Amino acid sequence: MTSSLPSGGPDAASARAAAVSLGARPRSRGWFHSQSTRRLAFGYMLLAPAALYVLLLVGVPFLFSLYLAVSDANVGEPVARFVGLDNFRAAWEMDTFWIALRNSVVFLVVAAIFKSILGTGLAFLLLQSFKGKKLVRGLVVIPFTLPISVSVLSWKWMYDSQFSVINWALSRVGLIGTYGSESWPIWLGQPHLALLACIGVNVWRSFPFSAIVLLAGFTSVPTEVLDAARVDGCTFFQRFRHIVTPMIFPILIIGFLFDTVFTLSDLSVVYLLTAGGPGNATQILPVLAYQIGIQAGSLGRGAAIALMLVPLLFPALFLMLRNLKRRDW
Amino acid sequence: MRTAASPRTHRQKEIRRHLLLYAGMTPFLFIAVFPIYWMLITAFKQEPDLYRMGNIPFWFNLPPTLKNFNTLFYQTNYGSWIINTLTISAWVALITLLTAVPAGYALARLKLPGAENIGIGIFMTYLVPGIILFLPLSRVVATLGLQDSWWALVVVYPTFTIPFCTWLMMGFFKTVPMEMEEAARVDGCGQLSALIRIVLPVSLPGVLTSIIFAFTLSMQDFLYGLAFVSPGDQKPVPVGVPTELIRGDVFFWGSIMAAALLVGLPVAILYNFFLDRFIQGITGGVGK
Repeated sequence: MTSSLPSGGPDAASARAAAVSLGARPRSRGWFHSQSTRRLAFGYMLLAPAALYVLLLVGVPFLFSLYLAVSDANVGEPVARFVGLDNFRAAWEMDTFWIALRNSVVFLVVAAIFKSILGTGLAFLLLQSFKGKKLVRGLVVIPFTLPISVSVLSWKWMYDSQFSVINWALSRVGLIGTYGSESWPIWLGQPHLALLACIGVNVWRSFPFSAIVLLAGFTSVPTEVLDAARVDGCTFFQRFRHIVTPMIFPILIIGFLFDTVFTLSDLSVVYLLTAGGPGNATQILPVLAYQIGIQAGSLGRGAAIALMLVPLLFPALFLMLRNLKRRDW
Repeated sequence: MRTAASPRTHRQKEIRRHLLLYAGMTPFLFIAVFPIYWMLITAFKQEPDLYRMGNIPFWFNLPPTLKNFNTLFYQTNYGSWIINTLTISAWVALITLLTAVPAGYALARLKLPGAENIGIGIFMTYLVPGIILFLPLSRVVATLGLQDSWWALVVVYPTFTIPFCTWLMMGFFKTVPMEMEEAARVDGCGQLSALIRIVLPVSLPGVLTSIIFAFTLSMQDFLYGLAFVSPGDQKPVPVGVPTELIRGDVFFWGSIMAAALLVGLPVAILYNFFLDRFIQGITGGVGK
């Protein structure tokens, strides 16, 4: 009877084990039971340190930030009073808050448009095979892998009001005048240019990421499927529209959302380039939260402003969760 | 006749295709690499060479110098920042390994009820941005008495390395064939010793990857370092360079660029090698 079992199936090993321990049958249920409780105990024990760490230092602080947002907590005074929605109301009545909110949204949208265009272009190029591709790929992704505060400094130097290398080149080509003339752009000093300059750095840093995510999507489409479609007479665009796009959509969404979370919550680019200036031209929510929460020491108000990012982030996180749940296990 | 002609036309076609591709790549390469080239050359330029607008700035107009690096090591805290960075990253890597590897194993292999949801839950915390957590965490850091010391960062950085590396290890452990472990169990290995003796050695590449990410992700932080550590000699490099090397309105561009590159470039190169793993990690390992 045992010999008639198909060998090599997933249950072959356990079947063989069962056959061997046939004599121990009567005890086997209890044995199995204690084995599985031991396995569970062992599993939760292994899981506990990571879960506790994350719970205590992400979960609890998140709840704590909700508490801070409805209190008048200050850096100096440890005892906080409950003030209801005062902090939110104060933010609501602050012009800077609305400017920061608007800039955050503009920043996100404009940067996303440029990142998608540049990322798609780069992904299509990297999809081809050519000599030196590995090197090219390695060089092109450096902006993403360089620590962000480090690369922002390079841009700050390139955006220098007087010794900007960008301006030097533009001036030599004749697109702008010489230093001091009307047409000499002061990248970080003129309101509209400053926001654009900050967006530029974000795009520069993240377009390789968009490209690599897209590329990962493209290469995950099995060539057999495409070949089959070709045999059936599908044109390139039909294949792209009906096969590639739906297949890579989950990856695209995740990459897109990941980038959205990063872009919305990043403070380093704006903080290091302009600190929100000139005036409030480049003020964004993360920088405002930092300035009010840490520099001005008003923890409660800072927390309230930071939490205003949640409604912006929430749709992104929700979509991400749905996508991860469908992950192939 | 066709067979005689086709190798040449094929070759020509290939050359033309390559030329087109290179032409297409050039703008991307230029955009990506120029700022780094500009840092590199600035780091080795003499001070007056930076400010002569009459010359072509893309190359040295005065002989290159190492003075900027000298200044960095002898007149600033740069040496301590490097040591801080390495020590912080080493601690973070250690904490991450001790927590994320067992957790990843448990979630991937032990068929715990709700493992999938717990795994996703842990990974989602990676996406809770620092900007929402840094104010409450500043209280936590103060309560622990760690404010103004780099130990604060050792405590805080695992909040993003643990979720990411747990997720990574979970994916990794799933690729280790179950039979190996079962065979060891049948041979009388306990659960723990099967993990240590059989599964871990096979998963060494995954463990190494986790260490690399603990390092590189720690280096990407700016906010926590800025918010929690203010004494000049306690900062890690990514925070120290932009906050301490700029005094008021005076920018020592040569030294700043030297400082940024000396640490930034090795990190970038290291990260480069593991970028595909990172992308795989966040996209849920869809594209093998």
